[in-house]
Amino acid sequence: MDAPAILRGVGLTKIYGNLVALRDADFSLRPGEVRALIGSNGAGKSTLIKVFTGAIAPTLGRVEIDGVAAPLGDPSEMIRRGIACIYQHSNLAPAMSVLDNIFLGRQPTRRFGFVDSARQRREARALLERHRIAIDLDATVGNLPTVKQKEVEILKALALDARVILMDEPTAWLAASEVAKLHDTIRMLKTRAVGIVYISHVLDEIFAVCDTMTIMRDGRVIAESAVADIDRPRVVHLMVGEKLARESAEAAHEKRHPRGTGEIRMSARDLTKRGVFTEVSFDLHAGEILCITGLIGSKRTELLRTLFGCDRFDGGTLQIDGRTAAFASPTGAIAAGVGFVPEDRHREGLMLDMTMTENLAMATLDRFHRGLMLQRRRMSEAARQAIASLSIQPPDGSRPVKLLSGGNQQKVLVGKWLNRAPRILILDEPTVGVDVGAKAEIYRILRRERERGAAILVVSSDLEEVFTIADRIGVMVAGRLVRIHDADDCRLQDIVREIGGAAA
Amino acid sequence: MTIRPATVALVLFFAATLAFFSVSAPRFATATNYENLMAGFSFVAILAMGQAFPILVRGIDLSIGAIVGLVGMVVFDLTLIFHVPGYVILPVALVVGMLAGALNGVLVVVLRLQPFIATLATLAAYRGLTYTISGRQLVPGLSTTPITDRWIVGIENYFDVGGWLGVNKLLAMPWFPLSFFIMLALFALFQTLVLATRFGRDLYAVGGNYEAARLAGINTGRVIITAYALSGLCAAIAALIMVARFTTATEALGTGSELTAIAAAVIGGVSLAGGIGSMFGPALGAFLLGAVLLGLTLQGVPQFVQQIITGAILLAAVGYDRLLVVRRQRRLAANLAQAG
Amino acid sequence: MGVNDDKTAGGRRDFLKTTVLGAAAVAGAAGGLFSGAQTAGTGLGVPAARAQATRYRMAFIQWQPHTVPAAWSKGIEEVLGPQQVVDYELLDGQNKVEVQASLMDTLINQGASVIFLQPIDSVALAPSIAKAKRAGISVITLNIDATEPHAAHVEMNHYYGAMDIAKAMGDAMGGKGKVAILNAPPGIIIRDQRTNGFVDGLKKHHPGIEVVADQVADWDRKKAQDVLATILAAHPDLGGAYGVNDSMALGAVDVAKEKGLIGKMVIFGNDGEVAALESIEAGELTGTQYTDVYQQGRLAAAAATVLATGGVAASAFGQQAHLLMPYVIATKENVGMIQDSQRW
Repeated sequence: MDAPAILRGVGLTKIYGNLVALRDADFSLRPGEVRALIGSNGAGKSTLIKVFTGAIAPTLGRVEIDGVAAPLGDPSEMIRRGIACIYQHSNLAPAMSVLDNIFLGRQPTRRFGFVDSARQRREARALLERHRIAIDLDATVGNLPTVKQKEVEILKALALDARVILMDEPTAWLAASEVAKLHDTIRMLKTRAVGIVYISHVLDEIFAVCDTMTIMRDGRVIAESAVADIDRPRVVHLMVGEKLARESAEAAHEKRHPRGTGEIRMSARDLTKRGVFTEVSFDLHAGEILCITGLIGSKRTELLRTLFGCDRFDGGTLQIDGRTAAFASPTGAIAAGVGFVPEDRHREGLMLDMTMTENLAMATLDRFHRGLMLQRRRMSEAARQAIASLSIQPPDGSRPVKLLSGGNQQKVLVGKWLNRAPRILILDEPTVGVDVGAKAEIYRILRRERERGAAILVVSSDLEEVFTIADRIGVMVAGRLVRIHDADDCRLQDIVREIGGAAA
Repeated sequence: MTIRPATVALVLFFAATLAFFSVSAPRFATATNYENLMAGFSFVAILAMGQAFPILVRGIDLSIGAIVGLVGMVVFDLTLIFHVPGYVILPVALVVGMLAGALNGVLVVVLRLQPFIATLATLAAYRGLTYTISGRQLVPGLSTTPITDRWIVGIENYFDVGGWLGVNKLLAMPWFPLSFFIMLALFALFQTLVLATRFGRDLYAVGGNYEAARLAGINTGRVIITAYALSGLCAAIAALIMVARFTTATEALGTGSELTAIAAAVIGGVSLAGGIGSMFGPALGAFLLGAVLLGLTLQGVPQFVQQIITGAILLAAVGYDRLLVVRRQRRLAANLAQAG
Repeated sequence: MGVNDDKTAGGRRDFLKTTVLGAAAVAGAAGGLFSGAQTAGTGLGVPAARAQATRYRMAFIQWQPHTVPAAWSKGIEEVLGPQQVVDYELLDGQNKVEVQASLMDTLINQGASVIFLQPIDSVALAPSIAKAKRAGISVITLNIDATEPHAAHVEMNHYYGAMDIAKAMGDAMGGKGKVAILNAPPGIIIRDQRTNGFVDGLKKHHPGIEVVADQVADWDRKKAQDVLATILAAHPDLGGAYGVNDSMALGAVDVAKEKGLIGKMVIFGNDGEVAALESIEAGELTGTQYTDVYQQGRLAAAAATVLATGGVAASAFGQQAHLLMPYVIATKENVGMIQDSQRW
C-alpha cells in the first residue's frame, strides 16, 4: 500500500454557527482502497463527505486530489476531478427517467446543445451489462421502489467513471441479497484502482468488504486501522465509548416475554388489501414486542400503514381491545391509543424545520392548550423531560430537528408518541441509519414501554435487531404473514430460510 | 419522453369543450370565431409557455404582465417619440424583455429571494417604470396617435390559409393571424429546447431536485436565470403582438395576464412543485381557457359566472393530475405485489 | 352605387337629427318614456312587420363596473327593453384593452347591430371599431372617444363642465387661495379634459387662485384620503380640493371632516353620483358637476335604435355624430332640484 494518496484531506475543520461539526480532521485514500468511515451519528462523517463532494466548503483546511489542491465548495469541479458520491438520502430528480438521472448534469450532447440520446442510451446499456443490473431505463424514478432508486444512484456514480466513490450508507435501504451484489460491484471497482469510502453502521458489511477504517467521534478522527488488525468490540468501543458499549452488550441477553401479559390489544383476522397483502392474521399482546421481518417489498410497511389508518383494507377484520376497528384516518387510530413511527423520518415523521419541542408536542397538542391558545411553557417543560429521558443530544428543545443527527431525530420521533403513553406502538424500521449507540438507547426505550404494558409491533429487516428485541418474530413473504415464532424457540437460519423461501 | 395521460386528458377535454360549444353556443362553430380565438389567445399561449419555464424550476413569475407593459411602452416611445425604425425596435424590445426577466432570475439566485416575492416586487417596479417612461404623459397628444410603423403593426396580419390550400370551396376556413404562427414557431422551438437539449434536462433536474442537480455539477444559478429570461422574452413577444393589435401601448397593458398565464400553464399540466410538464400543455391550456370564455360569452353567460367556471376548470385540472399520480402509485404497488 | 351612397349618407344625417330630437322627446315625457321611444321608432317609418320578424343584438362593453356605466346601461335598457325586438347585454371590459378587443370580436362574430363602447383607450380600440364598421356594425362610444371615426359619440361635457367647476369653486373661495387636484391616473382623455378645463377655467375666471398640488388618487375614495392628508401636511392653508371624480372628492370630504375643515375648505367633485348629491345636501361637499347619466344612456340607445333600424350600412358613415350632454353645477342651492328619479 505504498501508492500515493488519490484523495487527501488535511486539517479539515467546519464550523456552523457555534457548532463545530468537523475538527482538524486528516484523511487519506489510496487507489484501490476501500476505507470504512465509521462513527456515531453526529460524529462528523457526513460533513467530511460533503467537503469532499464540494457540497460545502470547509472553514479551514485543504483537499488534495493526486497531490494537487482542489478548489473547495464547488460540486462540478469535484465531479470533474473524478469524485462521485452516493448519498444517504435520495439525490434523484423524481419526475425524470432513470436514463436522465444517470446522466444528470452531464448528458452527452451534439451540436447546439442537443442531447445525444442514442449515445446516452448506448452508454447506459453498456453500464447495466457491465454491472449486471436490470432496470428499465425509461421508468420514471419517482415511481420506482426505494431499492431500485438506490441502484440508480449507484449507476449514476458508476457512469462517471469516477476514481473515488464516496458511499454514504449505501445499504441502508437494501435487502441482504442486494447488499451482496453491491459488495461484488465494490470489489470489481477495487480491481480498477477506484478508491472507495464506505460509510455504514453495519459492522458485518465493513468487515466483509473494507480494507481499512477511519473512526470518528465528536468531529475528530480518533483512530485509523487496517480492518485485519482490529476486532468488533474494539470498534464499537472506539465509536461509542465505555458506557454505551456495555449497555448494548447486555441488551442481547434480556429476558423475553412472548405474549406479554396475555391481554390481546390488537387482533387482525384475514386482513386483505387487494394487490398488496393477503389474509394477514395475528394477535398483539400487551407487554410484548412482536417483530415482523421479511424482504424489502414484502409489504410490511403497507400493512403497518393500514393498521394505523393511513390506508384502507378491503377484507378481514381488525380489533383493538376486542372492539372492531376500521380507522378511516390516523385520527381514529390515535384516539384508540395507537402510535406510529414511520420508516422515512424525513418525509413522513418529522417537521424538519420546526424545533424539537414542537415536534415532540406534535402528537399531544390537544393537551397543551387552553381555549385556542397553546401553552408554550407547559410544552417546553414536557419536552425537557422527554429530551432527558430519551437522552437526546444536544438537550436543547429550541433546536430545529433538521440539525440533529439521524439517531437523535429518531429518538424525537419515538418520543413524540411516548408523551401519549400509547397502548399500542407501531414502528417501521426504527433504527435504519441510526448508529450503534442510539440503537441501544432506542431498544432501551422500547423495552421500557413494554414493561409499562404497551403492545409493540416492529417491522425490521435487520435480523440482528429482530433477535435482540423481539419476544415473537413474524415472517412476511410477498404480502402474506407466513409464520409467527416465539423468539426463544427459533434459530436465525430458520428465519433466513423462511424469508427467502416463497419469494424465490 | 412519453406522452403523459394528463396530456391526453387535456386534448380530449379540449375537443369535448369545442364539441360542446359547437352544439350549444350560437356562432361558435364559425370561421370568424376560430379566427377570434387565434387572434385573441395566441399571445396568452405565448405567455403561458414563457411562464412554464420558471414554474419548471419550481419558481413563478408574477412580473410578466408588467414586463408586457414595460416592453409595450418602450416600443411606444421609440416609435412615436424617437421615430426609430421598426426593424431596430423589434430586437430592442426582445432584449428589454429578456433583461427584465433575467433580473428576476438574478434576484432569485443571487439574493436568494422567494420567486413569489422577487417577482411581486419587480411587478410593481416594472409597472412603475412603465408609468415613468410613458410617452403618453411626457409628450401631449401621443395618447391619441396610433403607431403606424409597418414593421410593428405588420405583426397584426392575417393569412388566407384555406385559399392557399384550395379548400375554401369545401370548408369555410378562418384566416390565420400571424400571431398564431409566431406561437407555433415558439412552441416548436421551446418544445425542442426542453425535451431534446442539455439545457432542457438541466431545467427538469433543477426543478425536480435542486440539491441533486447542484451536486451533479449543474450550474443551477444559470439555469434558473435563463428560465426567467425566457419568460421575459415571451412577455416581450406577447407585448409586440398586443401593440400591433391595438396600434398603441397603454401603461396598464398586460395587467393581470400573469394570472391567466399561470392558470393556463397549470391547466396544461405544469406542476407548481417543479420538474413536471412541457410546452404543449400550457399552449393548449391557453386556448382551452379562450374557447371557454368565447363559448360562454356567445351563450350569454354572465362574466362573473365565467370566472367561476374558469376557476372550476383550474381546480379540476389540478385535481385530475393528482388523481393520476395516486392511481399510478396504486398500479405500481399492485405490479410489484404480483412480481414478488 | 355612388348615387345611392350619397342618398344614404344624407339620409343618415337626417336620422341622427331625428334621433336627438327623439331622445329629447323621451327626456321630456316624464313617465312616458316608452311611448316616446316608440314614437321615435315609428317616426322613422320602420314597418311593423319587419320589426316583428327581425331581432337586433346590441351590447354595451363597459370599462369596468362602476356607478356611471351601470347608470348608462339602465338608461339604455329603458329605451331598448320596451321595443321587444332587441337583445341587449352588458359586458365587462375588466379594465383591460385586450378583454374589450376580444369582446368586440365576439360581438362582431355574433352579428350585433350596434355596440355601445366605453373604450379604455382611444387608440387601442380603434382597430376593433374599424373591424366592426367593416362588418356593418355601428359603434356608439360613451364618454371616451376613439381615434377611428364611428357612428356616434355621446359624452359628458368634461372640458366646459370643468371650467364651470373652476368658476364656482373660485367664487366660493373668494377668488384667491390654494387648491389641490385629486387626479386620475394619466393616459385617459377624460382625465386631461377634466383637468385642463379646470386649470383653464381658473386662469380665465380666477387668476388669483394657485394650483399647488396635482396628484394621482386612482379614482379611489380611500386613496384620495391618503393623498389629501399628505398634501395638507405640506399646505396647511389649502383652501380647496377638486376631485376629478366624486369618489375622490368624497375622500377629500372624509379628511376635511376628520380635521374639522368642513365649511373652511371648498371641495368639488365631478360626475354627480347620488352619494355626492347627498353629501352636498348634508353641507359637506361644496358641489359637483351633475350630468343625468340615465339620460346619456337613453340618448345613446335612441341613436342606436335609429342606426339599427334605419337600414343604413355603418361603412357609409362620412362623419361622426358628436353629442354633448347638458349638465348643471350642483351646489347646496340647486341640488334639491335634481329629482330622485334622476339620481344615480
